[in-house]
Amino acid sequence: MAALTGFAERRPLGDNAKAWALNAPAMVVIALLVAYPIGYSFYVSLQKNNLKRPRAKRFIGFDNYTSLLSDHAFVNALKVSALFVVVVLGLTVVLALILALVLNERFRGRGLLLSLALLPWAMPGVVNGLMWRTIFDAKTGALNGLLQQLGLIDSYHAWLTSGTGAFLFTALAQVWNTLPFSVIILLAGLSTIPAELYDAATVDRAGAWRRFTEVTVPWLLHPLLIVLILETMNAFRAFDTIYVLTGGGPGDATTTIALLDVQTVLTFTDFGLGSAYAWVITAITLLISVAYIGLLYRKGNFEV
Amino acid sequence: MELTRRHILKLTGLGLAGPALLSACSNDSSSGGGSGDGSVKFEGWDYEAALVQQNLDRFTKTSNVKVNYTPITSAQYVQKVVAEFTGGGGPDALYVYDDSLAAWVEGDYLQPLDGMAGVDEVYDAIYPGNAQAMTYDGKRYGLPYYTDATCLTYNAGILAQAGISKPPASLEELEAQALKIKNAGLLEYPIGLPAQLSDTWWSWVWALLFGSGGNMFDDQQNPIMNTSDTVTKDVFAWLQQAATKSKVIDPASLQLLPVPVDNAMKANRYAYTIGARYASRDYNDPAKSKAAGKIRMGLVPSLDGKEHGTVSNTRMYGLAKDTEVKDNAFKLLTYLGGYDSDKQPYTAKFWFLQRGLGFAYKAMVNDPTITAALKKFADPTVYTHLAEIAKPRNVLGVPWYTEFETEMHKVVQGVLSNQTQPSAAVASLAQSAETLKKKYS
Repeated sequence: MAALTGFAERRPLGDNAKAWALNAPAMVVIALLVAYPIGYSFYVSLQKNNLKRPRAKRFIGFDNYTSLLSDHAFVNALKVSALFVVVVLGLTVVLALILALVLNERFRGRGLLLSLALLPWAMPGVVNGLMWRTIFDAKTGALNGLLQQLGLIDSYHAWLTSGTGAFLFTALAQVWNTLPFSVIILLAGLSTIPAELYDAATVDRAGAWRRFTEVTVPWLLHPLLIVLILETMNAFRAFDTIYVLTGGGPGDATTTIALLDVQTVLTFTDFGLGSAYAWVITAITLLISVAYIGLLYRKGNFEV
Repeated sequence: MELTRRHILKLTGLGLAGPALLSACSNDSSSGGGSGDGSVKFEGWDYEAALVQQNLDRFTKTSNVKVNYTPITSAQYVQKVVAEFTGGGGPDALYVYDDSLAAWVEGDYLQPLDGMAGVDEVYDAIYPGNAQAMTYDGKRYGLPYYTDATCLTYNAGILAQAGISKPPASLEELEAQALKIKNAGLLEYPIGLPAQLSDTWWSWVWALLFGSGGNMFDDQQNPIMNTSDTVTKDVFAWLQQAATKSKVIDPASLQLLPVPVDNAMKANRYAYTIGARYASRDYNDPAKSKAAGKIRMGLVPSLDGKEHGTVSNTRMYGLAKDTEVKDNAFKLLTYLGGYDSDKQPYTAKFWFLQRGLGFAYKAMVNDPTITAALKKFADPTVYTHLAEIAKPRNVLGVPWYTEFETEMHKVVQGVLSNQTQPSAAVASLAQSAETLKKKYS
């Protein structure tokens, strides 16, 4: 009888079990769609696995990773990527900070300027690449037209045909696309700075520069950390804009590691080596992020 | 509502049923037909898909074989077919690039056609270069879709304005003529080449090499461009000189894909380019081109001014190895790439008349309908001679060809932009070939 009662009276689940139960479907989906492909890509990176040669497929341990040290294309792409990150990040942070400071002020037309400044963010990378390609076009490009009308050049130039030119213009196109996101983050950070701090600093006869370095910058370290991490990742993984604009050329002047990875996997169908490239990109961005956090976390004023 | 174990079991059951339901809804047919009615799953890149469908409808009407045709975007064709075969859902019959043949045979995607009805007859009737491009390891894997030979294309109107009466035979002469046009103020850069990095091959580089009797590889696919064959280095030296010293090659070439070069030719903005013969059909079409009637094709100029040859490419129809509807798929292949019941290459003729696509069948040039159509955009003698002297790249049979071609594009860009010297360029190419050989060994 007691046993029957036990079956009849269902014991409700505890909070902990309920939480697991409710989250389980999402966790299963994430495991299937995210964790499994990530794990599988690592497994593939340990294989000699080129779809063109299925009979040669075999487990080779970390050979794909060790071969990277003598892989000229990889080393060169890594250098290009590193330089690309430095240029894009430097320009983005400086320009975003200036733009955020301007947009944080009250003036007529601020709303319009804010909307315009955010516009590039809504543009997909491929469209961004196509737009800049039209602007930089050697025959009909708007840049050539503008510079000629201003009397700065005599004839149209092919801007993307020199290594340095292609690199700098590609970086510029990337900055244009990703700048608004950084502006939003920094603008949000600026809006949290109490006005009294500036008042107090002004009373203490601090000039504009000192107010910026002693009040603004410390308060912006946290949003700046977010900008640095996300923009580093973005620049390191930049693909679509570069692919459309230069295809990685001239030569390999704009062949970044992400471009090389896509080419290795999709054009050469070398999934083993391509997966190893992808894991190296992941490891590098992870290391950089940890370094940023180590440098900036718990510095400045975060207790808002 | 309290959540009990029973509720959770019910929900879990639903969760397990979900994927099964989705799987049932999917439209996967395993490799080769598989639909049971003998229909043929046919795939190709998306060039003129409506015309392809029109031609396939005719086949179905005459043969009663249903064809499920899927056009795939050209830029992703190779990758998608590889993914399909890898995943076990490949087509029964498909387009094949000569560049991909070796890899797709090695990947067990295709089966040889040797011994099948009419194949010997086709191979006897086509140009040797096309037969060679469709043969791998001594076996025949394709029936011809279309072919082309690369030629010098020039604007006779611009040449005449500069007082030039005949096309150049040598590269030196080409540069001199281009300089004359430049100095006459007719064009700042008379020569345009499609030299932006892309996944497609650069026929013009191979044509310049073959045009001067050179090659980058010997018959065993060993790189010779840095050792016994000096043509590659000399052609690179000419390219660099023409691009950076005499400045007759447009520096914007590094930003140009084939379509913008075509547009520039049609707008009288270039006097010379090196490309496929069939492009002249559009160049000389008054509805599409301002240069119509002025565009001519010539042999590719050589280093010594003598005639040596040019490069050809071959696009073919292939038969999947694992097809379950082999007979019907081969019937389709024969219709598309072989002879019909009247012993005529119906589809090859269809494509030439519709779009000017080059044909592999030697006898077609004697067909009055073909000759009449050809005369509208080219000199039939030059057109035919180009087909006769054209040969395929002898490195197509190696699995690392795609990687090498990509590397070559970068090196040639370096030469054109004066970042790489010709001797360093050939050394770099030889090194790349050796590295790739080792990687794939």
